[in-house]
Amino acid sequence: MRIVKLASFLAPKLLPLAALALLAGCATPPPASDAEALAEFRATNDPLEPFNRAMYATHTVIDTVALRPVAQGYRAVLPQPVRTGVRNMLQNIRTPIVLVNDMLQGQPRRAGDTLGRFVLNTTIGLGGLFDVANDHFGVPYHNEDFGQTLASWGVGSGPYLFIPVLGPSNARDLTGFGVDVATQPLTWFGQGLAVDIIAGSVAGLTVVDLRESYLDTLDEVTRTSLDPYATIRSASRQSRAAAIQNNDAAARAALRPAGSR
Amino acid sequence: MIRVSRRILGGLVLLAPAAAVLPAIPPAWAQIDTNRASAFIQASGTELVGVINNPGIPADQRRQKVADILRRSVDIEGVARFVIGRFWRQASAQEQQEFLTLFEESLVRNLAGRFGEYQGVRFEMGRSQSRTDDDALVSTIVTRPGTAAFNLDWRVSDVNGAPRIVDLIAEGTSLRLTTRSEYSSVIQRGGGQVSSLITALKRQLGR
Repeated sequence: MRIVKLASFLAPKLLPLAALALLAGCATPPPASDAEALAEFRATNDPLEPFNRAMYATHTVIDTVALRPVAQGYRAVLPQPVRTGVRNMLQNIRTPIVLVNDMLQGQPRRAGDTLGRFVLNTTIGLGGLFDVANDHFGVPYHNEDFGQTLASWGVGSGPYLFIPVLGPSNARDLTGFGVDVATQPLTWFGQGLAVDIIAGSVAGLTVVDLRESYLDTLDEVTRTSLDPYATIRSASRQSRAAAIQNNDAAARAALRPAGSR
Repeated sequence: MIRVSRRILGGLVLLAPAAAVLPAIPPAWAQIDTNRASAFIQASGTELVGVINNPGIPADQRRQKVADILRRSVDIEGVARFVIGRFWRQASAQEQQEFLTLFEESLVRNLAGRFGEYQGVRFEMGRSQSRTDDDALVSTIVTRPGTAAFNLDWRVSDVNGAPRIVDLIAEGTSLRLTTRSEYSSVIQRGGGQVSSLITALKRQLGR
């Protein structure tokens, strides 16, 4: 509970912080005479680059001493089926956020998928441990968040932001993250030590599960990129664009003819 | 079908600002029939998977064989021109030549290193194929033991009459767009000099 609350407390506070950074140090745009360079500067959308690079450096330290080793340990100690079970549980717990955003985006079919998955997985899937909806009913998980909802309403991303631990984001998606935390009933559900422990475990496991899922990709980026900061910035913008278009496994499965899955 | 075309349209709208930044696509890239592109990816993919999953080949030889397949199937020069973008014109003839050589070595080494690790990999052809003026997009689904399946799309173009891979798109992230952004950042942080990219590539390749 405390961690979840902390996150919802922090997210809105980070925006003024970004505004401060704007005063502290901005990337200098190229002169108007160099049209190509100027167009690229706009597409990169990182006017706060000096601040973001400092945040990225901070994140790298945290990642090196804590996040990455913990994710490696998690992968080494727990076998794949257990980790899959954990991921299934976390996805099931996230249902309210996904459902609300499916509806806010005017996607009744996807909302139906989300609700149906929750019912199946919570009951037959033993409280979300098994993803029977995907494995036996062919309804795969899809994610949504309020940042994507805002994007579907035509809200622009705002400047790129790199937030330690949370990773690559932007003004819109960071705001969305705060709203999602507030949407999660777990944030508001009861009080007491047991509730705090459950909410804290969910937040901690979410970070570990997410970092584990990026272990290979990020190791690859560190090994091959000449500028990991720029690579992550570009890759995150592209994958965000794909997510906003709902270009995910669920959408692709829907495109396949019946009987092929 | 309506959903497919809407998605492609959405993609085009999103790509439009990026396209304004792009240099002209190398003239060698020409339209290609989706069936021909799919058949090419099916064949190249099967060959790659066959080498990667062959336990009889030692790891370094396996990487070598993967590198050979990549050299044959990827339009390395076209991709090199794409990723260096607007800085190509700025580079001297010698820098251009040096960059092409270094990029080929870097791309082949990085991809062969990555694919070489994919033991037990399987791939199936996806259903959504689409065509643009310059190329065709062939989707595949890649599965490896112990990890979640992911979508890998191959952009295939006709280069001087033969199909060649011009981009790899993993879960919506294009390798050539990401690399171009990376190289541009290296050059800009190096005072706008193409030589800074060449130095960085040399350092990475241990030269």
